[in-house]
Amino acid sequence: MREPTYFVLVSLLDGPLHGYAIIARTVELSGGRVRLATGTLYTALDRLTAEGYVELVREEIVNGRARRSYGLTSSGAGALRAEAARMAEAARLVTDQGRRLKADGSARKASPA
Amino acid sequence: MTPLERRCRWLLRAYPAWYRHRRGGEMLDPLLEASPPSRNWPSFRDARALVLGGLRVRGWVWSLSLLWVAIGASGAGYVFAMTTQTCSNECADGVLWFPQWNGEPGVIVAVGALAAVVWVLLAIAVLAAGLARFGRRESRDGIRGYAWIGIWIAGVALMVLALLAASGWLAGNGPVDPTQPSITWGSPGPVVGWGELPICAAWLLLGALMTWILATPHSRNMPEKSGRSTRQASS
Repeated sequence: MREPTYFVLVSLLDGPLHGYAIIARTVELSGGRVRLATGTLYTALDRLTAEGYVELVREEIVNGRARRSYGLTSSGAGALRAEAARMAEAARLVTDQGRRLKADGSARKASPA
Repeated sequence: MTPLERRCRWLLRAYPAWYRHRRGGEMLDPLLEASPPSRNWPSFRDARALVLGGLRVRGWVWSLSLLWVAIGASGAGYVFAMTTQTCSNECADGVLWFPQWNGEPGVIVAVGALAAVVWVLLAIAVLAAGLARFGRRESRDGIRGYAWIGIWIAGVALMVLALLAASGWLAGNGPVDPTQPSITWGSPGPVVGWGELPICAAWLLLGALMTWILATPHSRNMPEKSGRSTRQASS
């Protein structure tokens, strides 16, 4: 799962959002690192809808224009959880290794050869 | 309508009409909301993403078909420019970069040869891909399928016509001797000339027809109408 897709799904965890709200929430959640362009967002939404991860939950007319809100499906929530677990597992390899390296460094300092 | 909205709407034309009809207004909202009020133009990032998104929705069959048409139209346009008095003798003398009909720089010859090979390969691959698309169970469309075959026959006929014109058959001069320049600048009557203009125009018409034929949804990844809740808001 690519990072923008991941953040789009994460942004929908708290409930359905419309296009601009997804963009704003994604920026907020990623600390400003992921800034989706409108075309990119709708490409992602098309794909996620086709995969059954996201569904259209509400339509309203605002200023004469359609505003659609999208929500996470149970399948999307499952995929997101699986991706988060996979990333946590991958991150643990580095953090555990880091802890080991740190421990090795402390041991070396304690007993200089 | 603000200039920004007008330009955003224009950019949304990168998407096919059926997609704009379903999503145009919805996409306009974040485009306008994400821009500062003083802005008159969409950002480069947004513009690029819209163009790429439009190409993705139109599909690679459309993109390659239009490339096929563009190669044909460019070839006809090039021959037209080279064989009429629309290009000054300065060009022919090589003062400007634009080359003359005979004795072009090697790069032009190489590009021409490459374009010819690409054109032939595209003709086979994209014709087959288009037929496969129209023959698919979920998007079976007899009229567009037959129109698709017709358009490709017309394209091949146009290319043959352009080649015949260029080689002098249509002017009754027989094929040109490749070792002898048949068309030279300043000669009283070039073998081909204005005849290439309608061929070039026909290529452009062909491009428009192809766009029309392929202007149907081909992906199933469009959001359906939810029907859960539609309401009017007045913000």
